[in-house]
Amino acid sequence: MSEISSPTTVADALVPVTVLTGYLGAGKTTLLNRILSENHGKRYAVVINEFGELGVDNDLVVDTDEEVFEMNNGCVCCTVRGDLIRILGGLMKRRGRFDGIIIETTGLANPAPVAQTFFVDDDVRARTRLDAIVTVVDARHLPQRLDDSAEAAEQIAFADVIVLNKTDLVNAAELADVERRIRAINRFAVIHRTERAALPIAEVLDRGAFSLDRVLEHTPAFLTDDTHEHNEDVASMSFEVERPIDPEKFNAWIGALLSTKGQDLLRTKGILQYPGETRRFAFQAVHMMADGDFVGPWPADVPQRSRLVFIGRNLNRPQLRRGFESCQVD
Amino acid sequence: MSGGLADPDLVLRSRGTQQSLDAFVVAAAFDGAGRQAAFALGDGRVVLASPADPWQFVTAHEGAVLALAADCAARGFISGGDDGALRRIGPDGATGEIARFGMKWVEHVASHAGGRGVLACAVGKRVHLYDAAGAPLKTLEHPSSVAGLAFDARGKRLAAAHYNGASLWFVAAKTDSPRRLEWKGSHLAIAVHPDGDAVVTAMQENALHGWRLSDGQDMRMSGYPSKIRSIGFTANGRYLASSGADTLVLWPFFGGGPMGKPPLELAGGDNVLCSAVACHPKQAAVAAGFADGLVVLADIESARILPVAAPGRGAVSALAWNADGTLLAFGTESGFAALVDFSKR
Repeated sequence: MSEISSPTTVADALVPVTVLTGYLGAGKTTLLNRILSENHGKRYAVVINEFGELGVDNDLVVDTDEEVFEMNNGCVCCTVRGDLIRILGGLMKRRGRFDGIIIETTGLANPAPVAQTFFVDDDVRARTRLDAIVTVVDARHLPQRLDDSAEAAEQIAFADVIVLNKTDLVNAAELADVERRIRAINRFAVIHRTERAALPIAEVLDRGAFSLDRVLEHTPAFLTDDTHEHNEDVASMSFEVERPIDPEKFNAWIGALLSTKGQDLLRTKGILQYPGETRRFAFQAVHMMADGDFVGPWPADVPQRSRLVFIGRNLNRPQLRRGFESCQVD
Repeated sequence: MSGGLADPDLVLRSRGTQQSLDAFVVAAAFDGAGRQAAFALGDGRVVLASPADPWQFVTAHEGAVLALAADCAARGFISGGDDGALRRIGPDGATGEIARFGMKWVEHVASHAGGRGVLACAVGKRVHLYDAAGAPLKTLEHPSSVAGLAFDARGKRLAAAHYNGASLWFVAAKTDSPRRLEWKGSHLAIAVHPDGDAVVTAMQENALHGWRLSDGQDMRMSGYPSKIRSIGFTANGRYLASSGADTLVLWPFFGGGPMGKPPLELAGGDNVLCSAVACHPKQAAVAAGFADGLVVLADIESARILPVAAPGRGAVSALAWNADGTLLAFGTESGFAALVDFSKR
């Protein structure tokens, strides 16, 4: 019996979970209704907080109260959604009756506790995978939201996909301006301009954005356009180094950085080249909670350079660059 | 585990009745008389099983059954589901509705046969109490969702686990103000010591937390590699059995309690997580189920391990004894269920 260990599920068998964030009125419910009513042959369980808005008859709709709690581990930013742990656990007991799960958060929600839930709970990790955080924003009202609340910027900072909705309510110059503001906060998310939240469902679901295999996949213009000035509270920065990374040095540096600055670091992602290793090492973190593993070999057309991306507050560019550079092998 | 595993399926083969149920076995329970077992399934069915008769399949809920307990009468069961219903299931498979809560899930149920009998269910932050006939008695409010529910041995008090601690209610109290047991974090499964002086919860943080009620002493029991889904006290109250490690972990509750002492660890060595425990209702023995499907019976004093069922039928997700300890029911995540007869022959 020594060969037998606790069961591990292959990634394909994990149920994908999409998190839908955005302010009230941005078009979240419209998008959700599109997803549920479009004829794509798939069934989704939906976890919502504001029942009544949803006009779709779906026996897999679960009504919950968002219950965020702080882990008892001395870390104030280790907050998770206890209600989701229970609901995902319950839904997994009737496995096979749906193809994916969509979690709608309330308008003012900070996405961090939802994301962190997928790092913290054994059962959630064993059966589901966080697929992507999709944030719906209202092209017309976003500038004002960004000026008067921290959550609006956080919802953009955490997003893998941004649905820039209600583009028909602004002119071209306003639209370019709002997109610039989004880019200043998060240069790595995919942005879709929409009216009435109309876009192909495949652009929203099953993105694999939290898969380590696909960390930093959508960042073609990596080092360009990183220098312009902006005044957003939340910003993103990327770094690239030439020599391979010493895993021990990196672990010591990133570990210390996340434990001291984790509260400001909303999302961290990296692809690392270790000396003498043909595979890429992928790394990601939400605040202080990190995850990393070897993924496939370097694609032939991609330079074998280690890259690291931070999205957060109070990012000190020279300090982060020096820190990352010092992790290179001598 | 030397010696005993030559034929780990012997007990199941010679003393068991088994069936493949094709759905996640969420919970198992015996009726008050200890004659009939029930398995609650992730597809909404409840299966009534006794060793001699054919098993009966009852469609109890529309979604998944989330919770199951004996009815407070001698026969029958109560169940809660993600269809928002609290139901009663008779020994003949007849079902009746006690209450319905719309979109909210009925996540936990409990009962006690003492006095005129009482039923309880947890729905979000509320715990609803009913008399034996199913008439509502009262509703108990909690600061956050209730994640575990247990009556004490006499049925006088009800303990509910939630965020930042647990609440201990007197079932018959006229004015409802619970004793709040506080400890930061998320508290899940809950158990009350048989002598009524300790309450223990399993926490999200892979640890147990206990409160000694006489002096409010906190008891921390940690070191688990994974989440603890299942806890229970032995019949004599000397040990608290728990899942969550690659052994059956037993914390001593004698000689001053578990503080600062190492737990007793039995049935380990295979690097497989223990996923469910059920203490024998009469003797100092514990049934333990593992993530590979292995089920064993551990005798605490002699540390002897009797294999009950071999690995290979899915992670053990439900485990229960009948009241006199002659029948053991177990079920797995992949839908295997069995009854094993331990009575003298």
